[in-house]
Amino acid sequence: MIKGSISNRIRILRFHSGEMSQAELGERIGVTRQTIAAIEAGKYSPSLEAAFRIAHAFNVPLSEVFQWDVEASH
Amino acid sequence: MPYREKTAWLSLLAMLVTFGPYFTLVATRALPSEPMPNLRQLSLFAVTAIVQLFILGIGHLYLRRGSTQEARVPLDERDQAIMRRSVSSAYYVLIGGMILVGCVMPFNSSGWSIINAALFMIIAAEFVHYGVIVFSYRRQA
Repeated sequence: MIKGSISNRIRILRFHSGEMSQAELGERIGVTRQTIAAIEAGKYSPSLEAAFRIAHAFNVPLSEVFQWDVEASH
Repeated sequence: MPYREKTAWLSLLAMLVTFGPYFTLVATRALPSEPMPNLRQLSLFAVTAIVQLFILGIGHLYLRRGSTQEARVPLDERDQAIMRRSVSSAYYVLIGGMILVGCVMPFNSSGWSIINAALFMIIAAEFVHYGVIVFSYRRQA
């Protein structure tokens, strides 16, 4: 199986969106502020639908919000 | 701390302060040979259940007053994932406990020993349920 980790640019995108708060983003996509904090910290991977909603909230493609970094295989 | 984590802590605490002493008493004190031993056991259980309900009632009212808006928000996908994980973990504890109580204990125990063991397994499952909720929220905080 290919191994990798998911990273995201939500913090940067929030900054570029006029320092949008976690609560505001959460309200837009229908999750709590704590869930946004967990996603941002990489401690919770959102559903595909929620990921698309986040991308839509920032008006950017999904790949600009989430990246999947493949681990180097030996 | 999320509202749901607070309520899970409250449930853990209520269980600990009520059923902790209950099971300690049940395990350490043999039932006296009274004319109505069931009455003593039942009253002990009734007091424990009432105190637990009281703590939960007061606790929930207090938490709700502190975070009215958060309490009204429906579960989001992360909350639901945490709930699913906690319920499935508790299910394994409960099913394992019930197999032990229902299939093994009748060979060497009877009466209140079996009832209290079943009750212990239910409380243990609930403890795991709320424990997993707290652990999940802590880990993802």
